[in-house]
Amino acid sequence: MNMTPMIDVTFQLIIFFMLVNNIISEEAVMMIVPELEEPKTREMGEENRVTVNVAPQSYDPDRGIGDLNIPGEAAMVKVGLEEFRLDDMEAVTEALRDARSRNKDIEVMLRADSGLFFDEVQPVMQAITSAGIVKVNMVAYLPEDQR
Amino acid sequence: MPAPLPDDETVHHQSQRQKRRGRVIGGGNPMELNLTSMIDVVFQLLIYFIVTSSFAIGEGVITVKLPTGPGTPQQSQKPPEQPLKIVVNSAGAIGTGYRVYIEGLAGRPANFKELAETLIQLQYDPSRGLNGAYKPDNPVIIRPETSVRWQHVVNAFNAAVKARYSNVSFAQAKSAEE
Repeated sequence: MNMTPMIDVTFQLIIFFMLVNNIISEEAVMMIVPELEEPKTREMGEENRVTVNVAPQSYDPDRGIGDLNIPGEAAMVKVGLEEFRLDDMEAVTEALRDARSRNKDIEVMLRADSGLFFDEVQPVMQAITSAGIVKVNMVAYLPEDQR
Repeated sequence: MPAPLPDDETVHHQSQRQKRRGRVIGGGNPMELNLTSMIDVVFQLLIYFIVTSSFAIGEGVITVKLPTGPGTPQQSQKPPEQPLKIVVNSAGAIGTGYRVYIEGLAGRPANFKELAETLIQLQYDPSRGLNGAYKPDNPVIIRPETSVRWQHVVNAFNAAVKARYSNVSFAQAKSAEE
């Protein structure tokens, strides 16, 4: 039996899955972002952006999109690859100020879980504005036809 | 007189060439690699990566102008005339529902789609045939309750953006007791 083509294909598949796993951004915390009624979201370029994640306390992989029935408290804030405690918003501001001093045109991508309470996200928004960053983008799912 | 050779010895007495041919005919190739274990490993890897990988659903962004917080210089702007205030309250036993209304306006939109329609009707934009009282750059302030889920907040924001208001911002959250 000639195994060579099958082994070729299999290796291709392995390489594909290895690469894809790494590409899915390390900056993104596992969460379910808001799903909107008639979304006006657009895709965003990679340059000039820093991701600010507000992570939920636990991520349940079985949770469906649009399911808000989770404890609404946040667990931590992640700016880029750096993690911060929730009671340490000064450090978040400082990190963002650093990022801004390196790149003046920086934009913030604010990713928060759809089930979080607003008062968990608000201090983070305040920390972003305190750092003097003008452009903030809220992350939500794209319209169905653009996913 | 030489002793007679034993039977089996005569049978196995072959030339090198005969031996080689004999092996080929017998089906055993001395150069064949045993791939079984490698294939096993490769399949294990394949299954591992198929199972562990998950594909992210496309996420997009809505651009926000946040309210100026402490630390940023306050621009000396003339106070905006009559901002549109959208209030979002939480509802339901575990707070996963929502109630939304526009402050000072009778009637309560049932969902964010209706909210967007109401906001469009309130707008003044002759190019689109709209004769409302609010210009597109009129400030729209979204005022969520503290315990409103983030999804509803972003949904209210999305409705305002969809109605083509360009100056949408958030107010400080108000607690449920207020």
